[in-house]
Amino acid sequence: MTTLLLEVRDATKRFGEGDAAVTAVRGVSLAVEPGEVVLIMGPSGSGKTTLLSMMGALLKPTRGSIHLDGIEISALSESRLPDIRLRQFGFVFQDFNLLSALSVLENVAIVAELAGFNGRAARNKATALLTDLGLGERLDFLPEKLSGGEKQRVAIARALINDPALILADEPTANLDSKIGHEIMRLLRRIAKEQGRSVVIVSHDQRIRDIADRVLWLEDGAFRDIVTMATDPVCQMAVEREHAISAERDGQTYFFCARGCRDEFLGDGGANGPGG
Amino acid sequence: MSATWLLARRNLARNRVRLVVSVGGVALALSLTLALDAIYAGVANQLTTYIDRSGADVWVSQPGVRNLHMVASWLPDSVIDQVRAVDGVAEATPILYSTDTITAGDERAVAYVIGVRADGPMGGPWDVVEGSSRVGRGEVIVDRGFARKAGATLGDRVTVLGGEATIVGLSEGTASLVNSVAFVSFDDFQAMRAGAPVVSFVLVRTAEGASADGVAAEIERRVGGVTAQSRDAFAAGERRLVTDMSAEIISIMNVIGFVVGLAIVALTVYIATLARRREYGVLKAFGARNRVLYRIVLAQAVLSVALGFVIGLVFTGLVGFLVARTDLNLELAITAASLIKVGLFAIVIAGLAAILPIRQVAKLDPAIVFRRGVVT
Repeated sequence: MTTLLLEVRDATKRFGEGDAAVTAVRGVSLAVEPGEVVLIMGPSGSGKTTLLSMMGALLKPTRGSIHLDGIEISALSESRLPDIRLRQFGFVFQDFNLLSALSVLENVAIVAELAGFNGRAARNKATALLTDLGLGERLDFLPEKLSGGEKQRVAIARALINDPALILADEPTANLDSKIGHEIMRLLRRIAKEQGRSVVIVSHDQRIRDIADRVLWLEDGAFRDIVTMATDPVCQMAVEREHAISAERDGQTYFFCARGCRDEFLGDGGANGPGG
Repeated sequence: MSATWLLARRNLARNRVRLVVSVGGVALALSLTLALDAIYAGVANQLTTYIDRSGADVWVSQPGVRNLHMVASWLPDSVIDQVRAVDGVAEATPILYSTDTITAGDERAVAYVIGVRADGPMGGPWDVVEGSSRVGRGEVIVDRGFARKAGATLGDRVTVLGGEATIVGLSEGTASLVNSVAFVSFDDFQAMRAGAPVVSFVLVRTAEGASADGVAAEIERRVGGVTAQSRDAFAAGERRLVTDMSAEIISIMNVIGFVVGLAIVALTVYIATLARRREYGVLKAFGARNRVLYRIVLAQAVLSVALGFVIGLVFTGLVGFLVARTDLNLELAITAASLIKVGLFAIVIAGLAAILPIRQVAKLDPAIVFRRGVVT
């Protein structure tokens, strides 16, 4: 693996034309250092996934550019992108996205085969990686026989199999319980720190903030200052203090994403704030 | 096994119902074509049985007569000695031939009626399983299957060529889907023709070392007003007749089989691809080039069709085996030509069936992997 710097320079992504055009990302700039864990948070529809797709060479920005170790990958022809994705990026998804017809081992080995490893070498490499991630006993299992945490570890093994410089994870803990979610995040952090890979995580799960080297808040397609944010104590979503529903209890102010969370938090108690 | 074939195989096996529909549909469609080909090839084989088993190396007939079925051939009997005199001819014997309906009790059947000389070295029955293999005046040898259906046995009377004859022998292998063969005495046949000094064909056995085609050519050169053909050429003419008669039906059934097979495979491969769009998207996101994904789709189509082809072949063979054990007088002959034709059909079906799914995969946006829920 070579350590690479990923840079997003003033990237904008617009979908559609004319009056129907929607700008998902507006002039975002970001640099990710080798070995760094960057967490991008934000509400639904804020442009997180679009930004991640652009960083992973799955989408091209409408304006601005994406650079990988100085090379402007957003300017490369479509025919050159598969190789970049195959060798430089590893993807981890919220829904795991494992191939349902293949076993754990085959799910990982097939990506190595795409990179040119022959069948036996790919399987050996996948076996070693999966064993290292504690899945040595699950090699022949189909994904449907695995727990959520195991599926996500298989997905991480698949993301790592071609020794990429960057791991891009989209809501990797969304379908996991709190404990397993933390295990997965610690695993991603270990990968970053021990192997020098950059890890970019998109999530609105506040519980995983502590594993990130840097937390960025994306809203309406642009980065905002994160100090204005608070965590809904019920659903753990990040909310803007300025616009959130708030309530006080025991002399402390809490902020909520919606009335439902506030009511659940307070029971039948009183509330105040913009929504209250 | 490469990743392409592995994934194609697993994708197919993953949905058993779809696999059964796909493979079963192809098998049925291809066996439709195979079976029809086999039936016609079987009929052609059966029709040429008499020619093949007559013992003649060369058939001499009225000018222009190049097959047996549905023809009349008349030659003056003086031709026999002329043929015998030709170099390369070891033996020559005449037969009289007509297509007639023979009746035993309530059972009626179309038959090649062959008038053979009692001492004739060729042209008689070759596998008499009951009774005599020689027919005298007022006697007939009929196919055992016909006799069984009619409930007739040795000594019973049948109506043939407008008169009655006693069954003296039962032969095997002389019936086809179209007709059977009945042997009567040459003299009876000639008497029915009012004693006219004519023969239908002269059967020739060639001398050792002489080529049938060469002798046939020599007969035509030396004996005027006849057509002479080797047994193989005569039998080929007979088969060609069957092919000509069945060409349109076979073509129609081929098209039906092809279209049905194509529709089934195309639909199932398309649905299978659609159902796994997200997975193809994942592979694209991980850097799989389109050509890799095309191979997976094509491999699925090829596997479905190949499996269907094998099952269709086995099924047709099994049907042929079972039919041969009935009284249907039907033979299913799977020929190499038919296998090649249906094999080519299968290849074309696989290729065409993969086109639509390949277009789907080609248009697939790898960013699909980040979309939640159902991918459309």
